[in-house]
Amino acid sequence: MPRSLWRGSLSFGLVNVPVALVSAVRDLDVHFHQLHADTHARLEVRRVCKKGGHEVPYEEIGYGYEIEKGKQVVLTQQELDAAQPEKTRTIDITEFVDVDQIDPVLYDHPYFLIPDDTGEGPARAYRLLVEVMEQQGRAALGTLVLRTKEHLVAILVREGLLQATTMAFPDEVRPVSDLDLPGKDAKPKPKELQNAVALVEELSRDFEPERYKDRHRERLLEIIERKRKGQTIEAPAEPETPQAVPDLLEALERSLAEVRGS
Amino acid sequence: MPRSIWNGAIAFGAVTVPVKVFGALEDRAIHFSEVHLADGGGIAHQLVDPTTGDEVPRDKVVKGYEVSPGKWVVVTNDEIKAADQPRRKAVEVEDFVPGDQIDPVFYDKAYNLAPQDGAERGYALLVAALEKTGQVAIGRVVLRTKEQVVAVRPAGDDGLLRMHTMHASDEIVSGDDLDVPTPKKKPAKREVEMAGKLVEGLATDFDPDRFHDTYRERVLELVKRKAKGEEIEVKEPERPEPSDDLLAALQASLDAVGGDGKPKSGSRKKKR
Repeated sequence: MPRSLWRGSLSFGLVNVPVALVSAVRDLDVHFHQLHADTHARLEVRRVCKKGGHEVPYEEIGYGYEIEKGKQVVLTQQELDAAQPEKTRTIDITEFVDVDQIDPVLYDHPYFLIPDDTGEGPARAYRLLVEVMEQQGRAALGTLVLRTKEHLVAILVREGLLQATTMAFPDEVRPVSDLDLPGKDAKPKPKELQNAVALVEELSRDFEPERYKDRHRERLLEIIERKRKGQTIEAPAEPETPQAVPDLLEALERSLAEVRGS
Repeated sequence: MPRSIWNGAIAFGAVTVPVKVFGALEDRAIHFSEVHLADGGGIAHQLVDPTTGDEVPRDKVVKGYEVSPGKWVVVTNDEIKAADQPRRKAVEVEDFVPGDQIDPVFYDKAYNLAPQDGAERGYALLVAALEKTGQVAIGRVVLRTKEQVVAVRPAGDDGLLRMHTMHASDEIVSGDDLDVPTPKKKPAKREVEMAGKLVEGLATDFDPDRFHDTYRERVLELVKRKAKGEEIEVKEPERPEPSDDLLAALQASLDAVGGDGKPKSGSRKKKR
């Protein structure tokens, strides 16, 4: 069972449910460490004062913020803690929205919220919330303070449990107005659209996440294994840069012929 | 115009649509620089060899993978790059899947795509075909040194294609991996009804603009106060008591939102 990253209370009206937060995704990436080239000693990071050149212990580190050019305000960790919202141990559900209305671009990291109390009351209150939210297809919105930062969270039901996903604040979503999108002016020709739709439908299938294995992880471990055996790994060739197809309609027709096997 | 982080194409069938890739989100968190409190000196991060205590120059630092305790295999960036050898710089679309079948839990990082010069028509065509069919393209692309599975979908009303990198299915934690206490008694019908009313009473349209990062604001406020030389005090947070009498708590909550399941006028959701 994954370790809980936060323990607190989920509050909904005047109902409080003690909950623990555990990550709903696990990191299976291959991670490297920094080593000394000759001795293979694993290196450590040392914080050094640029003024004296001496090592600085963690407790003597402050956090500087430049309020104007050349003028810096330094806060201690304790002072920074004071900026935390008072309710750092509660997720206050402030409203419920239709799950479909939430733009997935806002979603950051998913967590499970699980009851953190073996008592009958809390377990039942939790179950009650799951049941009602599932029935109504609604997500709960609230805020959560994790490691000194406040996050907007959307709580929804997955596998009969509450899943809380941290979200970006809307002012963090980049506007698309400066992207030079073709917009509605570049309306495709009916024949092109018809063929493109046909191609999409030919290649369409149900979403089965198991189909899309992390090949990078497997291949990287293979490279490491070959290296361990003393093999030489050739540097890869530079990939080609594809150009836009000169004739969209022709490319679509060729693709359709191919997938239809004619 | 912002700088693109990657240029390549979306390839499906024999069609290639060259695009530029941009981050969809902007980090607006407040960043501090580390300072030595005693003398105000800046802090440098040095890589040191703990066995000698000496700083290690950059050209003596290598990447290692621990294959067994204490046994390291050293790899270079080129060797890491050799793991995935894309034939071309492209998102190679493998399948199209119904958009509503993808649980957003699979989405990791989000990117905006824009057409490169001359690719506008192909780009608009892909947007139109995906919108018309409700499908999302699933493909693979090597970004920097790592092959990623990505979903490309039309987003919003501006004719935008958005790309999400995706978690592999074995990275998704299942509810079965968790120890979840189950109540002896299921919630009573009356409790479900009341909770249902309460949820309805708090239901509203999703309007993300109502939310803003109050932590960011508080930190900036703190910086201002400190600049003026004010004293900053620190408080300990408390955890509320669990509700023992569920029915009573539900009734009191319903009373607070107006009893009839409708929010009171002037409730917080109207305010900005």
